[in-house]
Amino acid sequence: MTDHQQFEDKSNPPGSPGEYERLAKWLKETLPVTTLLSENVSSSSDDEMEFEGLFDETYHLHFYQQLPDFVIALLKNDPLVNIRFAPLLYHLLICPDCHRAYLEIYDAMRVAVQADEIQPPVSQGLHFSVEPPPARVVVHLCKVLISQAEAVLRQAHRDHTNGDPLARSLLQQAMRISSRIAQNGVRGQALEDLVRVATLFNGAGVTDNPAAHSYSLQLTGSGGPRRGKTVRRAETFRHAGSPTEQPVIYLRDSHLEGTITQHEDSLELHLEDLDEHLRGHYVIITIPLGSLFEPVHWIGGNPHAIRSAVPVAEDGTLTTPLGETTLRMNNPEERNQLEVTFWRLEVRPA
Amino acid sequence: MPFSAHDLRYNLEANFPALYTYLHHRAQRFLGSLQFDADEVDQVVEHVIEQLVRLGVAGGGDEKPLTPLDSLTNAQFYAFLNRSVEHKAIDRLRKRRLLVSSFAELEKEGTEAENNPLNEVTESVWGAQPFPTPEEIALKLASTQELRVLLRHCIEALKKAPHQLQAVLQELEEFGTTALLRAVTEDLKETSYVPEASLANSSQHRDHAHKKLRICLQRKSSNLAVIVALRLTEYGEHTVSMHQEVTVDIQILAQDNLSEDDVRIGLKRLTAEGILNWHDEEIVHLTAVQKKRLRRFYKFE
Repeated sequence: MTDHQQFEDKSNPPGSPGEYERLAKWLKETLPVTTLLSENVSSSSDDEMEFEGLFDETYHLHFYQQLPDFVIALLKNDPLVNIRFAPLLYHLLICPDCHRAYLEIYDAMRVAVQADEIQPPVSQGLHFSVEPPPARVVVHLCKVLISQAEAVLRQAHRDHTNGDPLARSLLQQAMRISSRIAQNGVRGQALEDLVRVATLFNGAGVTDNPAAHSYSLQLTGSGGPRRGKTVRRAETFRHAGSPTEQPVIYLRDSHLEGTITQHEDSLELHLEDLDEHLRGHYVIITIPLGSLFEPVHWIGGNPHAIRSAVPVAEDGTLTTPLGETTLRMNNPEERNQLEVTFWRLEVRPA
Repeated sequence: MPFSAHDLRYNLEANFPALYTYLHHRAQRFLGSLQFDADEVDQVVEHVIEQLVRLGVAGGGDEKPLTPLDSLTNAQFYAFLNRSVEHKAIDRLRKRRLLVSSFAELEKEGTEAENNPLNEVTESVWGAQPFPTPEEIALKLASTQELRVLLRHCIEALKKAPHQLQAVLQELEEFGTTALLRAVTEDLKETSYVPEASLANSSQHRDHAHKKLRICLQRKSSNLAVIVALRLTEYGEHTVSMHQEVTVDIQILAQDNLSEDDVRIGLKRLTAEGILNWHDEEIVHLTAVQKKRLRRFYKFE
């Protein structure tokens, strides 16, 4: 007989509700509830802000996602609910955020399950013409999707499980949805954490070999690029042999510039002024978000390690194909999708 | 325009405008006098969107297991969304009410109940919810056998210190927790434990017993932050400086199935709790106050 069973037998009949109340009081006095401390933690310093971004202690994905099952079990008067959800119950005791979410979800689900029984279907609001959501709401959705992907990856890392498929799907949705945002600066806000999350935990682009150059996408609209630097506008960007009317994606690494052009299905990378130690050598090109973007067939099949077709020229220039796609850069929405893919591009010696 | 939970799960991109339109319309309705405040409407809409994504209902696809929300009929799902919007709108109205000197104008907005959402929820937003407060959850927890088993083991571990054990048993008796007390005393019958007729300095013994109970519960915890907190207090005891500071090398903490990465994560969590002031150094510095707080740190997980 297990300890568990022994105790059950010896406490049969169980204590009265009054006894439980007294035991609960004793427990609360003996065990300090430390979560209250976290509510008062100042996040004024930069370090703390950074930390807060990396570890969102107020969102506990593992418990949060159990809430609908827990609530439905309560609503169905499941006699084993306390056993099945004991860890969640413990967590709700000390986590005000999850407790708040529990109350909210319980209330909404309670109303929902009664909807068919006691009231006609809620139809208000269903017969209005669909309005395009404003950019700020789309930005929020993208941020939430990326944040959720990060939470999934962190939870999976902690549990030693594979959260990659779900995280990947969420990031892909954020990339696609963001392509609906016309303003480049606003799109930059929506995707500001994309590369960081996509490369979390041995993700894309992580190699032992440090990059010689790390290019970022240049968004030429209001708000500028991620690092807030002044961006030369497309019309003034110099690129030998690139017709001004040809759609181009612009990249920048400090003072270096690069472009990606399209010739029919082929995407071609053009770099200039590469380091002297790279000249005369082949290079490896890494596109960290490339594996998230399925419509491109990358040269060699691995967007994290595309070997240049030719060595870097003696003048530091390189022109090499990256892959093929049926998307067109002169289609605004498809161009936006391609741009996001090249949010970062790294070059290292082969 | 209608969309379903299934649509949001498998095709969020295409159905997001419809979801937004619905939520926006409902938010305006429930926000009453704030319905033309775009920021307030956005806050309500974005809250519900965030909730749907976090639950895996929006954008979860095949990768996220289905939830009870996916099993709702369309009418039920809209009722869920509607209520979620209403709840957040009420929350916003309440917060605004705290900011303005008079809330009377809200009551003058109209006679329809829908324009006065607070009217119907002033007394109780939650109705008959089973655990509206943490205290009620604690009560429920105390009635679960897992917790009682854990407590019983920790209390019985005190038998090497009979006075402390007796102090706790007296405390349980004072609290009237007879079922737990009976279970413990029956187990103790098989040991040589004999309580004294009267216990001197019982409060002192009780304090010591509480400390041991906390350590016992910490040791049984699988929470990373709790494990690291315990190790900090245990491994740092022999390195007290002149200023009552304690220093602990991270390498020392990373033992017994705990990697250095695990230790660092635990330290970061303790820092986030406000207990430590650690910035990724190799050596953790503790003040006496911090060490005391670490001893009392516990998280259920």
